[in-house]
Amino acid sequence: MTVAIATASILGCAIVSIMLGVARRSGFAPVRTAAGLVVELLRGASVLIYLFWVYYALPLVPGMPRLGPIAVSVVVLSLVGGAYGAEIVVSGLQGVAKGQAEAALALGLSRYHTFVRVVLPQALTQIVPAFASLAIDMVKWTAIVSFLGVQDLLSVANTIRTMTYSTVGVYVGVAAIYLGLSLCTSYLFHLAEQLLPLNRALTAARDSANSSRGSALLMKSGVT
Amino acid sequence: MTWDWSYAASIMPDLLFGVVVTVLATIACSAIALLGGLLIAIAQMNCGRVGQHAMRAVMEVFRGVPILVLLYFGFYALPEIGILLPGFVVGVLVLGTVYAAYCSEVYRGALMTIPADMRDAAAALGLSRFAIWYVVLVPIAVRKSLPALVNYVLVLYKQSSFLFAIGVPVLLSQAQLAGYQSFRYLEPYTIAGVLYVLMNVPFVLYQRRFNLKVGTSLS
Repeated sequence: MTVAIATASILGCAIVSIMLGVARRSGFAPVRTAAGLVVELLRGASVLIYLFWVYYALPLVPGMPRLGPIAVSVVVLSLVGGAYGAEIVVSGLQGVAKGQAEAALALGLSRYHTFVRVVLPQALTQIVPAFASLAIDMVKWTAIVSFLGVQDLLSVANTIRTMTYSTVGVYVGVAAIYLGLSLCTSYLFHLAEQLLPLNRALTAARDSANSSRGSALLMKSGVT
Repeated sequence: MTWDWSYAASIMPDLLFGVVVTVLATIACSAIALLGGLLIAIAQMNCGRVGQHAMRAVMEVFRGVPILVLLYFGFYALPEIGILLPGFVVGVLVLGTVYAAYCSEVYRGALMTIPADMRDAAAALGLSRFAIWYVVLVPIAVRKSLPALVNYVLVLYKQSSFLFAIGVPVLLSQAQLAGYQSFRYLEPYTIAGVLYVLMNVPFVLYQRRFNLKVGTSLS
């Protein structure tokens, strides 16, 4: 359950981050301000507050749906995580030289293609490593969903503790599992980093440079 | 269900008590985190390779495990080995220690950027080891790490709501209690949320001013 919620929240968080991040860089001032306000609001209080508010208070507002605990967990974790992720996206986009976008527009690419084909692949190289540490935080955040009665790692541990009375053992085990999950997350992101377009291009360029230098050496040795 | 102002007013005293506890907890945790982090960073720079690795391993555990697990551990497991502390003390100690681990990284980074010449110069002036650290290196490191430290105080303020898990009457616990007693959840949670965000505003404004002045961006 912990893994499922963490995976869903990290994916949701990625989508929200990109949307908020792009909105914060929008050329249209009201959109920019609104995105900024949403980000500040979501970062203003602890994720726990939003979790409780959406679960207990939101259904009482007329016209609002009553969501199940798992849905609430994923939605809240995605939104709050996305508010933190938006900052990462913004600084990643700022890291791409402005000339790149201008050149792409000048070549007649549409705004959409400029962003998706030119700016985003370059920005991802900066965004993904920073996003990895956010994802690890998200794995740890999932522990709070036990408050809503979701049967995640922590709530199962609490059940076992009340059944067996072996407090120290149970919590040491849980801590070890969470550490393992964090390590897995960081390993997965490490893998993902190598699949990024720009990193792949750089690796390919390095390989071809090496091989061409290699063949040059071969030719030289063949001549002598 | 509609908003009931008289009910909202009736729970305000309880919520404000929660605000006071939240602020107290934040101050206590920050004190432990900021001082403890500095001590950890200094200890790390002054002990041998083995000690350094051991400390890193311990800090990885503190940072890799959810705070809730550590809080439960402190609250339920410590009494088993004979340490009985009130919830507030356990919570503050746990949160403070976890963020001391985070802050020590900040201090360590700042200490490493101080050029070695500075330490050599202090030594050449005949300052004692103690004086080199407390008069020369620490003040520089603290000044350098100030923006990141303010950030962590802000995080601690938000994380203090987790103390609700072990029954400390922070704002969130008070809101839950009020809702539970009267089966009206809309008002207490909404007021608590608004209070949490509002109390955050001065911090954020200060931080933004500070960032502009120092010209560095925070993570």
